[in-house]
Amino acid sequence: MTANAFTRQSFAGLPAGSGGALPALTLVGLFFIVPVVALLLRSVTDPEPGLQNYAALFGSGTYVRVFLNTFLVAAVVTAVTIVVAFPVAWMLAIMPPALGSIVFGIILLSMWTNLLTRTYAWMVLLQRTGVINRTLMGLGIIHEPLPLINNLTGVTIGMVYIMLPFMILPLVGTLRAIDPMTLRAAALCGASPLQAFRRILLPLSLPGIAAGGLMVFVMSLGYFVTPALLGGTSNMMLAEMIAQTVQSLLNWGLGSAAAFVLLVVTMVLYAIQLRMVGARRLAGGL
Amino acid sequence: MRLILAGVLAGLLTATAAQANEMVFTSWGGTTQEAQTKSWAEPFAASSGIKVLQDGPTDYGKLKAMVDAKNVTWDVVDVEMDFAIKAAKDGLLEPIDFAVVPKADLDPRFSNEHAVGSFYYSFVLAWNKGAVSGEPASWADMFDTKKFPGKRTFYKWSAPGVIEIALLADGVPADKLYPLDLDRAFKKLDTIKSDIVWWGGGAESQQLIASGEAAFGQLWNGRVFALEKDGADVGVSWNQNLTAADVLVVPKGAKNKDSAMKFLAAATSPTGQTKFAEASGYAPINTKAKAEMPADVVKGLPDAHVDGQINLDMNYWAEHRDEIATRWYAWQTK
Repeated sequence: MTANAFTRQSFAGLPAGSGGALPALTLVGLFFIVPVVALLLRSVTDPEPGLQNYAALFGSGTYVRVFLNTFLVAAVVTAVTIVVAFPVAWMLAIMPPALGSIVFGIILLSMWTNLLTRTYAWMVLLQRTGVINRTLMGLGIIHEPLPLINNLTGVTIGMVYIMLPFMILPLVGTLRAIDPMTLRAAALCGASPLQAFRRILLPLSLPGIAAGGLMVFVMSLGYFVTPALLGGTSNMMLAEMIAQTVQSLLNWGLGSAAAFVLLVVTMVLYAIQLRMVGARRLAGGL
Repeated sequence: MRLILAGVLAGLLTATAAQANEMVFTSWGGTTQEAQTKSWAEPFAASSGIKVLQDGPTDYGKLKAMVDAKNVTWDVVDVEMDFAIKAAKDGLLEPIDFAVVPKADLDPRFSNEHAVGSFYYSFVLAWNKGAVSGEPASWADMFDTKKFPGKRTFYKWSAPGVIEIALLADGVPADKLYPLDLDRAFKKLDTIKSDIVWWGGGAESQQLIASGEAAFGQLWNGRVFALEKDGADVGVSWNQNLTAADVLVVPKGAKNKDSAMKFLAAATSPTGQTKFAEASGYAPINTKAKAEMPADVVKGLPDAHVDGQINLDMNYWAEHRDEIATRWYAWQTK
């Protein structure tokens, strides 16, 4: 299952199997499209008709900062996730199937555990008086606790851990589809392992990286619990800011505007990504 | 995102409303709501025959969405007092029916036309005895990183408390706090910004202090009370303790308004207030309640520490809520 086959299927599936897709479409329409439209309406009508919420949004240094920070965190998390996930995915792809399914099970198992529980576990591990700092200090490796929590480091560790399965799954699919003979051919032609990776394996796995990367990036943009618990206020992400705006300040209009801008930016990124992956695939095929 | 969607959906779908002999009480969850259930809801249900359904946590955005959508599923809500004053002004609350709720014994600091006190509490200075050498004695000590090194924890959200603490630490006399000098407060907070760990909820504040993750901090007295009860090695200073209150309100258009008013009468009665204070360590807002309480409980209440006690000005906060919040988050995310 390559990334493009996946996306193409869901688009192409529309006209052909629309009967079967009806419940899903109704669900999406009712619980996604309708609220999004309501959101948009609210952002231009609350407290009065006009674009004042958007003006306030872009005029406020706070929101702009939080926006930039949100994208920074999502980008860092995505990059680290790709680097960490790739070797795991490769190992899974070349493993004997029986062993592979066990490792796969372990990875999936982590997804079945409650998100909040897992984030709290990281708090216990990462804090100044936590397991990691205590151990390192006990061994005499460090004398002051490392700042692993309430900052970008904490958010990145916590979120990469949660995002890993979403990167590994599409990557394994792509890597499995690569003919092992291409790597052997590269070696026979005198390519070093690094060259074979850079010139053969990496380009061929790009669709998987792109699909997984996009999923991780987009999911990271809207993350709430993990950044709130593992990050500091200077890494506040948009979801938390929106929650504050709505819950505490009752400013539904401004909150809606922020959510809508995030949605639009995400969609634009998605569109760019789709085009880029398509183009690269063409180039790779030549 | 999830929250917004949930809010929009709450408006779209007809939520199941409480039936004739039922009503819904919403509070903050955790040990506080447990104590409210045991002290108020259960005895009230037994004596009146009105079943009290519990919901929560309190969410001001949701409350407003319910009132706006004219589909109010909450009958009594526990909210912070500065919010209640603002919400009353915005037309989100029913007036209290003082023909049903006896007003005479209610502490006038914590009740008004649209709200009756739920309980009141103090922000106190608490510390982990194992993590601090010496005894911090005032808010100024929390800003003295030389004398008291280590992380300090403060309430994360824009709310009455931290600004006042910074100003008091900077030498502003208690009777000159208002109007708040925000520039001065943020300048003072800047001096310790990198040493602050924020707590977003009561349980988190307890965890930070108990583990020594933060050496000391600004805590709700009830949370310190619970830590002490659990045997944690914590110290507490009531010097310049800052009072604030939770109040009970009835959202505009609540479906069981009559039951709600009867519930308020029971919750604010001397007996209801005594029971709740004993369970939570928060102070009663009924002036008759203390007479019914055991001496050792009274000792741990903010009432026992009126010397140097400062009342946070809820009216000022209600008036300047949005303006302060804008400054607060701009400073915090910098």
